[in-house]
Amino acid sequence: MGKTSLHSALDQTLKKWGNCVEKKSCYICGKKNLSKNEIGLTKKLLDKDSKRFYCIDCLAEYLEVDTEFLLAKVEEFKEQGCKLF
Amino acid sequence: MIYADNAATTRISDSVFEKMLPFLREQYGNASSHYSLGAKAKRAIEQARKQVAAAIGAEPPEITFTSGGSEANSWVLRCVADTYRNEPMHIITTAIEHHSVLNACRSLEQTGIEVTYLPVDQTGRVSVNNVRAAIKPHTKLVSIMFANNEIGTIQPIAEIGRLLKGISILFHTDAVQAVGHITVNVSDLQVDFLTASAHKFNGAKGTGILYKRSGLDLSPLVFGGEQERGLRAGTENVAGIVAAGYAIEESVGEIANAAKRLKAMVKDTVNGIKEIIPSVRVNGDSKCRLPGTVNLCFDGISGESLMHLLDLKGVCLSTGSACTSDKDKPSHVLLALGLTEQQAKSAIRISYGKYNSVDEVGKIVTAVCDTYEKIVENR
Repeated sequence: MGKTSLHSALDQTLKKWGNCVEKKSCYICGKKNLSKNEIGLTKKLLDKDSKRFYCIDCLAEYLEVDTEFLLAKVEEFKEQGCKLF
Repeated sequence: MIYADNAATTRISDSVFEKMLPFLREQYGNASSHYSLGAKAKRAIEQARKQVAAAIGAEPPEITFTSGGSEANSWVLRCVADTYRNEPMHIITTAIEHHSVLNACRSLEQTGIEVTYLPVDQTGRVSVNNVRAAIKPHTKLVSIMFANNEIGTIQPIAEIGRLLKGISILFHTDAVQAVGHITVNVSDLQVDFLTASAHKFNGAKGTGILYKRSGLDLSPLVFGGEQERGLRAGTENVAGIVAAGYAIEESVGEIANAAKRLKAMVKDTVNGIKEIIPSVRVNGDSKCRLPGTVNLCFDGISGESLMHLLDLKGVCLSTGSACTSDKDKPSHVLLALGLTEQQAKSAIRISYGKYNSVDEVGKIVTAVCDTYEKIVENR
């Protein structure tokens, strides 16, 4: 394998790795590095392919429910074995 | 809360609950006991057997109580297979059966039994001609559900019964979604076995019904005592059986009015949603469908997200069968109708019942449409 193709393979691996470790910001307040649970909630409740992500407080406001209610839902989804959390 | 998932289970009828309560508190005798407390329990079971038999046009000895519809379905399939264990055997069923039938068939296939899974058309109906064409010299059983649990489509059971009459092929119908909701008469249908579940018609969970035509043999599923004429050992669930008797009597008594009311509610729901989301599609047959059940496809969004967001708003409905809704697989029923995986995953099922009121329709329409908009604006 030549140097260029080795770099290209490395780039692709890093890109894939980068996609695995998701870094998302809140669409409303801009909070950076949303937690796994926050990302999971957005995906579970809005769409797996959602373009916008929300921190738990902004998601609660957006969906017109209490933050505590969403936290309870996270636990419920975990109990059901959902792998998003 | 608005509960619109009556195909999954129903709230027990208030009057039925009152009737079953004494058998959990004062009349808690074991029906096999020979003192009067036991005799009263035994009499209550026999009364329930009469009520169930009358509701489906059967004779009381033709009714056996089980723990639920799944047990009754497994019983029929496994025990018919056992009866013919020394002969070549072929079973005909459809691709859209409940998993209690499909998985029992798959298990029988492992033992060398041949099974044909008939396709259905776009509305979920099986063709009688396809049933006829699938019959082989060694076909021993046809098992076709009366009404589908996900899309509500009603199968031509009476026509299939006529086809099979006179041929020595046993006919079973899983009528779990039908009994108590549409007219079911075992003589008209010419079925040999029919299965039902009390919690689907406002009875209690934990009681199933197996109708077995008089004169047919079926080996026991559970061995032990002589309960249920030795066919199903184990202390009877007296309260549940009592509830099943009263619930079926009540449901059948209300069938015509309930069907009319539920049909109108489904129609208004579909029209209301279509007004705001014109792309929504109804899955299943438009005419031959259970009155209170409708399955809708919202192309491009996830039915699961829709269901979870509606849950946050206090609306309970499902993405499909309650028995499969925790799996990330598209519905086998919707795929059998020819839907793509994506379309199948965009579906929700609304199923109205006895305790839904007309004013809940507007609330459901608003909730579904608002929720749909929320999902779409985040894509």
